[in-house]
Amino acid sequence: MNLLDGLGDTILISVSSVVLGTILGVFVGLAMTYGQRWLRFIVRLYIDFLRGTPVFVLILACFYVLSVVGVDLTAFQAGVLALTLFCSSHVGEIVRGALSAIAVGQTEAAKSIGLTFMQTFVYVLLPQALRQILPTWVNTATEIVKASTLLSIIGVVELLLATQQVIARTYLSLEFYLFAGFVYFLLNFVIEQAGRAVERRISIP
Amino acid sequence: MTFIKTLAVATVMTAAAGSAMAQEASKLQEVLDRGYLVLGTGSTNPPWHFMDSDNTLKGFDVDMGRLVAKALFGDPDKIQYVQQSGDARIPNLVTDKVDLSCQFMTVTAERAQQIEFTIPYYREGVGLLLMANGDYADYDALKAAGDDVTVAVLQNVYAEEMVHAALPEAEVDQYDSVDLMYQALNSGRAEAAATDQSALRWFMVQNPGRYEDAGYAWNPQSYSCGVKPGDQRWLNFVNTVLHEGMTGVEFPFYAESFKTWFGEELAVPKIGFPVEYK
Repeated sequence: MNLLDGLGDTILISVSSVVLGTILGVFVGLAMTYGQRWLRFIVRLYIDFLRGTPVFVLILACFYVLSVVGVDLTAFQAGVLALTLFCSSHVGEIVRGALSAIAVGQTEAAKSIGLTFMQTFVYVLLPQALRQILPTWVNTATEIVKASTLLSIIGVVELLLATQQVIARTYLSLEFYLFAGFVYFLLNFVIEQAGRAVERRISIP
Repeated sequence: MTFIKTLAVATVMTAAAGSAMAQEASKLQEVLDRGYLVLGTGSTNPPWHFMDSDNTLKGFDVDMGRLVAKALFGDPDKIQYVQQSGDARIPNLVTDKVDLSCQFMTVTAERAQQIEFTIPYYREGVGLLLMANGDYADYDALKAAGDDVTVAVLQNVYAEEMVHAALPEAEVDQYDSVDLMYQALNSGRAEAAATDQSALRWFMVQNPGRYEDAGYAWNPQSYSCGVKPGDQRWLNFVNTVLHEGMTGVEFPFYAESFKTWFGEELAVPKIGFPVEYK
Protein backbone atom coordinates (compact mmCIF):
# COMPACT_ATOMS: atom_id res chain seq x y z
CA MET A 1 0.00 0.00 0.00
CA ASN A 2 2.82 2.31 0.98
CA LEU A 3 4.80 1.64 -2.16
CA LEU A 4 1.67 1.94 -4.28
CA ASP A 5 1.02 5.41 -2.83
CA GLY A 6 4.62 6.32 -3.59
CA LEU A 7 4.31 5.09 -7.16
CA GLY A 8 1.08 7.09 -7.52
CA ASP A 9 2.88 10.23 -6.37
CA THR A 10 5.80 9.60 -8.71
CA ILE A 11 3.41 9.27 -11.66
CA LEU A 12 1.37 12.31 -10.63
CA ILE A 13 4.51 14.44 -10.20
CA SER A 14 5.99 13.29 -13.50
CA VAL A 15 2.81 13.70 -15.54
CA SER A 16 1.95 17.14 -14.18
CA SER A 17 5.53 18.40 -14.55
CA VAL A 18 5.84 17.12 -18.11
CA VAL A 19 2.42 18.45 -19.18
CA LEU A 20 2.89 21.89 -17.58
CA GLY A 21 6.54 22.02 -18.64
CA THR A 22 5.66 21.19 -22.23
CA ILE A 23 2.95 23.86 -22.45
CA LEU A 24 5.33 26.44 -20.99
CA GLY A 25 8.16 25.10 -23.13
CA VAL A 26 6.24 25.52 -26.39
CA PHE A 27 5.76 29.22 -25.58
CA VAL A 28 9.41 29.50 -24.68
CA GLY A 29 10.34 27.91 -27.99
CA LEU A 30 7.97 30.19 -29.94
CA ALA A 31 9.35 33.25 -28.20
CA MET A 32 12.88 32.12 -29.00
CA THR A 33 12.06 31.71 -32.70
CA TYR A 34 9.62 34.53 -33.48
CA GLY A 35 10.02 36.97 -30.59
CA GLN A 36 11.42 40.48 -30.73
CA ARG A 37 15.11 40.86 -29.96
CA TRP A 38 14.49 41.91 -26.31
CA LEU A 39 12.13 38.98 -25.73
CA ARG A 40 14.59 36.54 -27.25
CA PHE A 41 17.28 37.91 -24.93
CA ILE A 42 15.13 37.39 -21.82
CA VAL A 43 14.03 33.92 -22.87
CA ARG A 44 17.63 32.98 -23.70
CA LEU A 45 18.62 33.98 -20.15
CA TYR A 46 15.72 31.90 -18.77
CA ILE A 47 16.73 28.81 -20.72
CA ASP A 48 20.43 29.10 -19.97
CA PHE A 49 19.83 29.75 -16.30
CA LEU A 50 17.52 26.76 -15.87
CA ARG A 51 19.54 24.38 -17.99
CA GLY A 52 22.74 25.41 -16.25
CA THR A 53 21.38 24.78 -12.76
CA PRO A 54 21.31 21.27 -11.27
CA VAL A 55 17.70 20.07 -10.80
CA PHE A 56 18.51 19.42 -7.17
CA VAL A 57 19.40 23.08 -6.61
CA LEU A 58 16.22 24.14 -8.44
CA ILE A 59 14.13 21.98 -6.12
CA LEU A 60 15.76 23.39 -2.98
CA ALA A 61 15.39 26.93 -4.34
CA CYS A 62 11.68 26.49 -5.10
CA PHE A 63 11.09 25.09 -1.62
CA TYR A 64 13.22 27.39 0.54
CA VAL A 65 13.98 30.58 -1.36
CA LEU A 66 10.32 31.11 -2.31
CA SER A 67 9.21 30.70 1.31
CA VAL A 68 11.73 33.36 2.40
CA VAL A 69 10.07 35.84 0.04
CA GLY A 70 6.63 34.85 1.35
CA VAL A 71 5.40 32.31 -1.23
CA ASP A 72 4.62 29.28 0.89
CA LEU A 73 4.37 26.21 -1.29
CA THR A 74 3.99 22.68 0.02
CA ALA A 75 6.86 20.31 -0.72
CA PHE A 76 4.77 18.68 -3.45
CA GLN A 77 3.92 22.00 -5.15
CA ALA A 78 7.49 23.27 -4.89
CA GLY A 79 8.75 20.02 -6.41
CA VAL A 80 6.33 20.11 -9.33
CA LEU A 81 7.21 23.78 -9.93
CA ALA A 82 10.94 22.99 -10.04
CA LEU A 83 10.50 20.07 -12.44
CA THR A 84 8.09 22.09 -14.60
CA LEU A 85 10.62 24.92 -14.96
CA PHE A 86 13.38 22.44 -15.71
CA CYS A 87 11.22 20.66 -18.29
CA SER A 88 10.13 23.91 -19.94
CA SER A 89 13.71 25.00 -20.56
CA HIS A 90 14.50 21.72 -22.31
CA VAL A 91 11.27 21.66 -24.32
CA GLY A 92 11.83 25.31 -25.25
CA GLU A 93 15.21 24.48 -26.71
CA ILE A 94 13.83 21.43 -28.56
CA VAL A 95 10.95 23.45 -30.05
CA ARG A 96 13.25 26.25 -31.11
CA GLY A 97 15.56 23.77 -32.84
CA ALA A 98 12.68 22.07 -34.65
CA LEU A 99 11.05 25.32 -35.79
CA SER A 100 14.25 26.86 -37.07
CA ALA A 101 14.92 23.69 -39.10
CA ILE A 102 11.82 24.37 -41.19
CA ALA A 103 12.64 26.42 -44.30
CA VAL A 104 11.57 30.10 -44.06
CA GLY A 105 9.84 29.66 -47.45
CA GLN A 106 7.04 27.72 -45.80
CA THR A 107 6.13 30.53 -43.42
CA GLU A 108 6.28 32.95 -46.33
CA ALA A 109 4.09 30.69 -48.45
CA ALA A 110 1.56 30.39 -45.60
CA LYS A 111 1.55 34.16 -45.25
CA SER A 112 1.00 34.63 -48.99
CA ILE A 113 -2.13 32.48 -48.98
CA GLY A 114 -3.47 34.54 -46.09
CA LEU A 115 -3.00 32.32 -43.05
CA THR A 116 -2.71 34.03 -39.67
CA PHE A 117 0.30 33.32 -37.49
CA MET A 118 -1.72 30.93 -35.33
CA GLN A 119 -3.00 29.06 -38.40
CA THR A 120 0.49 28.90 -39.86
CA PHE A 121 1.76 27.46 -36.61
CA VAL A 122 -0.98 24.87 -36.18
CA TYR A 123 -1.39 23.71 -39.81
CA VAL A 124 2.05 24.23 -41.35
CA LEU A 125 4.79 24.35 -38.76
CA LEU A 126 3.61 22.18 -35.87
CA PRO A 127 2.97 18.96 -37.86
CA GLN A 128 6.47 19.15 -39.29
CA ALA A 129 8.12 20.21 -36.04
CA LEU A 130 6.40 17.43 -34.11
CA ARG A 131 8.38 14.77 -35.95
CA GLN A 132 11.58 16.50 -34.93
CA ILE A 133 10.45 17.18 -31.40
CA LEU A 134 9.07 13.81 -30.39
CA PRO A 135 12.19 11.65 -29.89
CA THR A 136 13.98 14.30 -27.80
CA TRP A 137 10.79 15.13 -25.93
CA VAL A 138 10.43 11.47 -24.88
CA ASN A 139 13.98 11.68 -23.54
CA THR A 140 13.07 14.74 -21.51
CA ALA A 141 10.02 12.96 -20.08
CA THR A 142 12.14 10.04 -18.87
CA GLU A 143 14.62 12.53 -17.38
CA ILE A 144 11.76 14.06 -15.39
CA VAL A 145 10.67 10.66 -14.06
CA LYS A 146 14.21 10.08 -12.85
CA ALA A 147 14.55 13.60 -11.45
CA SER A 148 11.35 13.12 -9.42
CA THR A 149 13.39 10.93 -7.04
CA LEU A 150 15.13 14.12 -5.86
CA LEU A 151 11.86 15.34 -4.32
CA SER A 152 12.44 12.82 -1.53
CA ILE A 153 14.99 15.31 -0.13
CA ILE A 154 12.29 17.88 0.63
CA GLY A 155 10.02 15.18 2.07
CA VAL A 156 7.68 14.28 -0.79
CA VAL A 157 6.85 10.61 -0.29
CA GLU A 158 7.33 9.47 -3.88
CA LEU A 159 8.44 5.97 -4.82
CA LEU A 160 12.05 6.34 -3.62
CA LEU A 161 11.21 7.72 -0.17
CA ALA A 162 8.37 5.18 0.21
CA THR A 163 10.93 2.47 -0.61
CA GLN A 164 13.35 3.85 1.96
CA GLN A 165 10.56 3.82 4.54
CA VAL A 166 9.93 0.13 3.90
CA ILE A 167 13.65 -0.64 4.09
CA ALA A 168 13.92 1.20 7.42
CA ARG A 169 11.24 -1.11 8.79
CA THR A 170 12.36 -4.40 7.24
CA TYR A 171 16.17 -4.02 6.76
CA LEU A 172 15.76 -5.58 3.27
CA SER A 173 17.72 -2.90 1.43
CA LEU A 174 18.99 -4.83 -1.58
CA GLU A 175 15.63 -6.41 -2.37
CA PHE A 176 13.59 -3.22 -2.18
CA TYR A 177 16.10 -1.00 -3.98
CA LEU A 178 16.21 -3.55 -6.80
CA PHE A 179 12.43 -3.54 -6.90
CA ALA A 180 12.27 0.27 -7.02
CA GLY A 181 14.89 0.29 -9.77
CA PHE A 182 12.82 -2.18 -11.75
CA VAL A 183 9.65 -0.08 -11.35
CA TYR A 184 11.47 3.05 -12.56
CA PHE A 185 12.77 1.10 -15.53
CA LEU A 186 9.26 -0.13 -16.28
CA LEU A 187 7.84 3.41 -16.15
CA ASN A 188 10.44 4.74 -18.56
CA PHE A 189 10.15 1.70 -20.81
CA VAL A 190 6.42 2.34 -21.16
CA ILE A 191 7.05 6.02 -21.94
CA GLU A 192 9.63 5.13 -24.59
CA GLN A 193 7.41 2.52 -26.22
CA ALA A 194 4.49 4.94 -26.28
CA GLY A 195 6.76 7.55 -27.84
CA ARG A 196 7.89 5.09 -30.51
CA ALA A 197 4.30 4.15 -31.31
CA VAL A 198 3.35 7.80 -31.80
CA GLU A 199 6.47 8.33 -33.89
CA ARG A 200 5.46 5.50 -36.20
CA ARG A 201 1.96 6.89 -36.52
CA ILE A 202 3.04 10.36 -37.55
CA SER A 203 6.00 9.39 -39.70
CA ILE A 204 5.71 10.08 -43.40
CA PRO A 205 5.63 6.72 -45.18
CA MET B 1 14.56 68.42 31.25
CA THR B 2 10.89 67.92 30.36
CA PHE B 3 11.97 67.00 26.88
CA ILE B 4 14.25 64.28 28.20
CA LYS B 5 11.49 63.10 30.51
CA THR B 6 9.02 62.90 27.63
CA LEU B 7 11.58 61.07 25.56
CA ALA B 8 12.21 58.60 28.38
CA VAL B 9 8.48 58.00 28.89
CA ALA B 10 7.98 57.53 25.17
CA THR B 11 10.87 55.10 25.02
CA VAL B 12 9.52 53.06 27.94
CA MET B 13 6.06 53.01 26.39
CA THR B 14 7.39 51.94 23.02
CA ALA B 15 9.42 49.20 24.67
CA ALA B 16 6.39 48.04 26.66
CA ALA B 17 4.21 48.03 23.56
CA GLY B 18 6.96 46.20 21.71
CA SER B 19 7.22 43.46 24.32
CA ALA B 20 3.43 43.14 24.51
CA MET B 21 3.38 42.66 20.75
CA ALA B 22 6.20 40.14 20.93
CA GLN B 23 4.18 38.14 23.42
CA GLU B 24 1.11 38.15 21.25
CA ALA B 25 3.17 37.06 18.29
CA SER B 26 4.51 33.97 20.06
CA LYS B 27 4.39 30.69 18.18
CA LEU B 28 2.53 29.29 21.19
CA GLN B 29 -0.55 31.42 20.49
CA GLU B 30 -0.27 30.78 16.76
CA VAL B 31 -0.26 27.01 17.29
CA LEU B 32 -3.14 27.15 19.79
CA ASP B 33 -5.23 29.22 17.37
CA ARG B 34 -4.44 26.88 14.50
CA GLY B 35 -5.57 23.85 16.49
CA TYR B 36 -2.75 21.48 15.56
CA LEU B 37 1.03 21.25 15.81
CA VAL B 38 3.22 21.16 12.69
CA LEU B 39 5.97 18.72 13.60
CA GLY B 40 9.07 18.16 11.51
CA THR B 41 10.50 14.66 11.70
CA GLY B 42 11.87 11.90 9.49
CA SER B 43 10.32 8.66 8.30
CA THR B 44 13.20 6.25 7.72
CA ASN B 45 14.95 5.68 11.06
CA PRO B 46 13.39 3.34 13.59
CA PRO B 47 13.03 3.47 16.54
CA TRP B 48 13.15 7.28 16.21
CA HIS B 49 10.77 8.04 13.37
CA PHE B 50 9.51 5.57 10.79
CA MET B 51 6.47 4.72 8.71
CA ASP B 52 4.83 1.67 10.20
CA SER B 53 3.06 -0.94 8.09
CA ASP B 54 -0.29 0.66 9.01
CA ASN B 55 0.88 3.87 7.27
CA THR B 56 1.34 5.97 10.42
CA LEU B 57 4.50 7.60 11.70
CA LYS B 58 5.80 6.05 14.88
CA GLY B 59 8.88 6.22 17.07
CA PHE B 60 10.42 7.99 20.04
CA ASP B 61 10.84 11.33 18.22
CA VAL B 62 7.22 11.12 17.09
CA ASP B 63 6.16 10.43 20.69
CA MET B 64 7.98 13.56 21.88
CA GLY B 65 5.94 15.55 19.35
CA ARG B 66 2.78 13.78 20.54
CA LEU B 67 3.66 14.75 24.11
CA VAL B 68 3.80 18.41 23.05
CA ALA B 69 0.50 18.11 21.13
CA LYS B 70 -1.09 16.53 24.20
CA ALA B 71 0.11 19.45 26.30
CA LEU B 72 -1.29 21.94 23.78
CA PHE B 73 -4.66 20.42 22.97
CA GLY B 74 -5.16 17.51 25.37
CA ASP B 75 -4.92 15.29 22.29
CA PRO B 76 -1.62 13.74 21.15
CA ASP B 77 -2.97 13.18 17.63
CA LYS B 78 -3.42 16.87 16.76
CA ILE B 79 -0.29 16.92 14.65
CA GLN B 80 0.42 17.62 11.02
CA TYR B 81 3.68 15.86 10.17
CA VAL B 82 6.21 17.32 7.79
CA GLN B 83 8.45 14.48 6.71
CA GLN B 84 11.91 15.88 6.26
CA SER B 85 15.39 14.59 5.54
CA GLY B 86 18.12 15.14 8.12
CA ASP B 87 19.54 18.02 6.08
CA ALA B 88 16.16 19.79 6.12
CA ARG B 89 15.87 20.02 9.91
CA ILE B 90 17.45 23.45 10.30
CA PRO B 91 16.21 25.08 7.04
CA ASN B 92 12.62 23.99 7.75
CA LEU B 93 12.74 25.58 11.21
CA VAL B 94 14.31 28.81 10.03
CA THR B 95 11.84 29.24 7.14
CA ASP B 96 8.83 28.50 9.41
CA LYS B 97 7.81 25.31 7.60
CA VAL B 98 7.49 23.57 10.97
CA ASP B 99 6.74 24.67 14.56
CA LEU B 100 9.04 22.12 16.11
CA SER B 101 11.54 19.56 14.91
CA CYS B 102 12.12 16.35 16.84
CA GLN B 103 14.41 14.23 14.69
CA PHE B 104 17.29 12.68 16.68
CA MET B 105 19.16 15.96 16.46
CA THR B 106 22.55 15.92 18.17
CA VAL B 107 23.12 19.10 20.13
CA THR B 108 26.20 20.88 18.81
CA ALA B 109 27.44 24.42 19.30
CA GLU B 110 27.42 25.03 15.53
CA ARG B 111 23.74 24.15 15.27
CA ALA B 112 22.93 26.16 18.39
CA GLN B 113 24.10 29.25 16.48
CA GLN B 114 21.35 28.71 13.91
CA ILE B 115 18.42 27.37 15.91
CA GLU B 116 17.50 26.98 19.56
CA PHE B 117 17.60 23.59 21.23
CA THR B 118 15.13 22.41 23.81
CA ILE B 119 16.33 20.45 26.82
CA PRO B 120 17.58 16.99 25.80
CA TYR B 121 15.15 14.07 25.89
CA TYR B 122 17.65 11.27 25.25
CA ARG B 123 21.38 10.69 25.52
CA GLU B 124 22.71 8.70 22.60
CA GLY B 125 25.94 6.72 22.64
CA VAL B 126 27.63 3.89 20.77
CA GLY B 127 27.22 0.37 22.14
CA LEU B 128 28.26 -3.16 21.22
CA LEU B 129 25.74 -5.80 20.19
CA LEU B 130 26.66 -9.47 20.83
CA MET B 131 24.99 -12.78 20.04
CA ALA B 132 23.30 -14.05 23.22
CA ASN B 133 25.08 -17.42 22.95
CA GLY B 134 28.34 -16.07 21.51
CA ASP B 135 31.95 -16.64 22.58
CA TYR B 136 32.24 -13.33 24.40
CA ALA B 137 30.02 -12.55 27.33
CA ASP B 138 30.56 -8.83 27.70
CA TYR B 139 32.73 -5.80 27.00
CA ASP B 140 35.57 -6.95 29.28
CA ALA B 141 35.81 -10.27 27.45
CA LEU B 142 35.91 -8.47 24.08
CA LYS B 143 38.62 -6.14 25.28
CA ALA B 144 40.70 -8.98 26.72
CA ALA B 145 40.53 -10.84 23.39
CA GLY B 146 42.45 -8.03 21.66
CA ASP B 147 42.82 -8.48 17.90
CA ASP B 148 40.95 -11.81 17.88
CA VAL B 149 37.76 -9.81 17.83
CA THR B 150 36.21 -8.42 14.65
CA VAL B 151 33.69 -5.60 15.03
CA ALA B 152 31.12 -4.87 12.34
CA VAL B 153 30.26 -1.20 11.90
CA LEU B 154 28.33 1.00 9.51
CA GLN B 155 30.62 2.62 6.94
CA ASN B 156 31.76 6.03 8.10
CA VAL B 157 34.89 8.18 7.92
CA TYR B 158 35.34 7.92 11.67
CA ALA B 159 34.18 4.30 12.05
CA GLU B 160 37.60 2.81 12.74
CA GLU B 161 38.58 5.55 15.17
CA MET B 162 35.21 5.20 16.92
CA VAL B 163 35.53 1.44 17.49
CA HIS B 164 39.14 1.75 18.60
CA ALA B 165 38.13 4.25 21.27
CA ALA B 166 36.47 1.32 23.06
CA LEU B 167 38.39 -1.69 21.70
CA PRO B 168 41.85 -0.42 20.70
CA GLU B 169 43.09 -3.68 19.14
CA ALA B 170 39.92 -5.02 17.50
CA GLU B 171 39.66 -5.60 13.76
CA VAL B 172 37.10 -3.31 12.15
CA ASP B 173 34.91 -4.40 9.22
CA GLN B 174 32.82 -1.66 7.65
CA TYR B 175 29.49 -2.38 5.97
CA ASP B 176 27.31 -0.37 3.59
CA SER B 177 24.01 -0.86 5.32
CA VAL B 178 22.53 -1.81 8.67
CA ASP B 179 21.17 -5.14 7.42
CA LEU B 180 24.61 -6.21 6.16
CA MET B 181 26.15 -5.23 9.49
CA TYR B 182 23.67 -7.37 11.43
CA GLN B 183 24.15 -10.15 8.90
CA ALA B 184 27.89 -10.15 9.66
CA LEU B 185 27.12 -10.63 13.34
CA ASN B 186 24.54 -13.37 12.66
CA SER B 187 26.87 -15.33 10.38
CA GLY B 188 29.84 -15.10 12.74
CA ARG B 189 31.95 -12.93 10.41
CA ALA B 190 32.03 -10.45 13.28
CA GLU B 191 31.90 -11.06 17.04
CA ALA B 192 30.23 -7.74 17.79
CA ALA B 193 28.42 -4.93 15.98
CA ALA B 194 29.11 -1.36 17.05
CA THR B 195 26.08 0.84 16.58
CA ASP B 196 24.04 3.55 18.24
CA GLN B 197 22.74 2.48 21.63
CA SER B 198 19.18 3.26 20.52
CA ALA B 199 19.42 1.15 17.33
CA LEU B 200 20.90 -1.67 19.36
CA ARG B 201 18.11 -1.51 21.93
CA TRP B 202 15.46 -1.44 19.20
CA PHE B 203 16.99 -4.44 17.48
CA MET B 204 16.92 -6.32 20.80
CA VAL B 205 13.26 -5.35 21.30
CA GLN B 206 12.45 -6.79 17.88
CA ASN B 207 14.43 -10.00 18.41
CA PRO B 208 13.94 -10.89 22.07
CA GLY B 209 16.49 -13.31 23.56
CA ARG B 210 18.67 -13.43 20.46
CA TYR B 211 21.14 -10.67 21.23
CA GLU B 212 22.87 -9.03 24.18
CA ASP B 213 24.20 -5.59 24.93
CA ALA B 214 27.91 -5.83 25.86
CA GLY B 215 27.21 -3.31 28.60
CA TYR B 216 29.53 -0.51 27.62
CA ALA B 217 28.59 2.70 25.84
CA TRP B 218 30.72 5.62 24.76
CA ASN B 219 30.59 8.74 22.53
CA PRO B 220 27.81 10.58 24.42
CA GLN B 221 25.56 12.93 22.42
CA SER B 222 22.45 14.78 23.58
CA TYR B 223 19.32 14.60 21.46
CA SER B 224 17.05 17.64 21.61
CA CYS B 225 14.14 19.06 19.69
CA GLY B 226 14.75 22.36 17.94
CA VAL B 227 12.73 25.56 17.50
CA LYS B 228 13.21 28.71 15.44
CA PRO B 229 15.40 31.13 17.44
CA GLY B 230 14.01 34.25 19.06
CA ASP B 231 10.77 32.97 20.58
CA GLN B 232 11.47 32.44 24.26
CA ARG B 233 7.82 31.84 25.15
CA TRP B 234 7.50 28.91 22.74
CA LEU B 235 10.90 27.48 23.71
CA ASN B 236 9.99 27.65 27.40
CA PHE B 237 6.70 25.93 26.73
CA VAL B 238 8.25 23.00 24.87
CA ASN B 239 10.98 22.75 27.53
CA THR B 240 8.38 22.60 30.29
CA VAL B 241 6.47 19.86 28.46
CA LEU B 242 9.59 17.73 27.91
CA HIS B 243 10.80 18.34 31.45
CA GLU B 244 7.51 17.25 33.00
CA GLY B 245 7.48 14.25 30.67
CA MET B 246 10.77 13.09 32.13
CA THR B 247 10.16 14.09 35.78
CA GLY B 248 6.54 15.05 36.43
CA VAL B 249 2.88 14.49 35.58
CA GLU B 250 3.53 13.14 32.08
CA PHE B 251 6.17 10.66 33.23
CA PRO B 252 3.92 7.63 32.46
CA PHE B 253 3.61 8.80 28.81
CA TYR B 254 7.39 9.25 28.47
CA ALA B 255 8.18 6.00 30.31
CA GLU B 256 5.77 3.98 28.19
CA SER B 257 7.28 5.32 25.00
CA PHE B 258 10.79 4.60 26.33
CA LYS B 259 9.76 1.03 27.13
CA THR B 260 8.20 0.54 23.69
CA TRP B 261 11.20 1.70 21.66
CA PHE B 262 14.17 0.89 23.90
CA GLY B 263 12.78 -2.05 25.90
CA GLU B 264 13.80 -0.52 29.18
CA GLU B 265 11.61 0.12 32.23
CA LEU B 266 12.50 3.51 33.72
CA ALA B 267 12.56 4.05 37.48
CA VAL B 268 9.92 6.53 38.68
CA PRO B 269 11.54 9.90 39.55
CA LYS B 270 12.23 10.06 43.26
CA ILE B 271 9.45 11.82 45.18
CA GLY B 272 10.48 14.62 47.53
CA PHE B 273 13.49 16.77 46.73
CA PRO B 274 13.48 17.62 42.97
CA VAL B 275 15.68 15.16 41.06
CA GLU B 276 17.25 17.86 38.88
CA TYR B 277 19.16 19.43 41.78
CA LYS B 278 20.77 16.28 43.14
